[in-house]
Amino acid sequence: MGKLAIVLASGELEKIQAASIIASVASTLGTEVIVFATMDGLMAFKKDVVENKAWKTAGELGKGMIESGAPLFIDTFRQAKEVGNLKMYACGMIMDMLKLKIDDFVDIFDDVVGVSAFLGMVEDAQVLFI
Amino acid sequence: MEDVKADRVIDARGSYCPGPLMELIKAIKEEDVGKVIEVWSSDESSAKDIPEWVKKAGHELIGVFEADGYWRIVVKKTK
Repeated sequence: MGKLAIVLASGELEKIQAASIIASVASTLGTEVIVFATMDGLMAFKKDVVENKAWKTAGELGKGMIESGAPLFIDTFRQAKEVGNLKMYACGMIMDMLKLKIDDFVDIFDDVVGVSAFLGMVEDAQVLFI
Repeated sequence: MEDVKADRVIDARGSYCPGPLMELIKAIKEEDVGKVIEVWSSDESSAKDIPEWVKKAGHELIGVFEADGYWRIVVKKTK
């Protein structure tokens, strides 16, 4: 119940994977979940990175996850959007800075927002910074 | 209990947490109240975690049965 906001600032596969699992299960139990991808966390959603599975990993575990061929965070977030109450936002600042467009990222984001909009959305939420 | 007839069986063997749970949730959304849904998981953590979800979501857990190398988690949609 309630509202959970996750700031994805890390691009490490292990961290994003953990966030995606917690976010997806919470979203199916009546919790409103907001994910804000920024910094390296946003870059993990770039089309070329996803296609080549070129994520940063913290170590052995992340490499093993890629090799196992198991569904990773993109699929987990997509499923959550389908069955739960989860919305994903991309950070506009990073996109401006690096001259990237929303089309450079996989089709998963509900909108591109800035920090003020994000803070407005999460006023009454519990926030996890990853 | 173990031979309860499910209205729908989902084979999620080979999928990892939260795959089997997410597939069960999808099926619960699609089915009518009163239907019995059974999910198969080869993932032991899902066998423990799915009942927790069912309790929180307010559906009825009919049982968790160990089969040959996998678990059958049987759930009744109650709302």
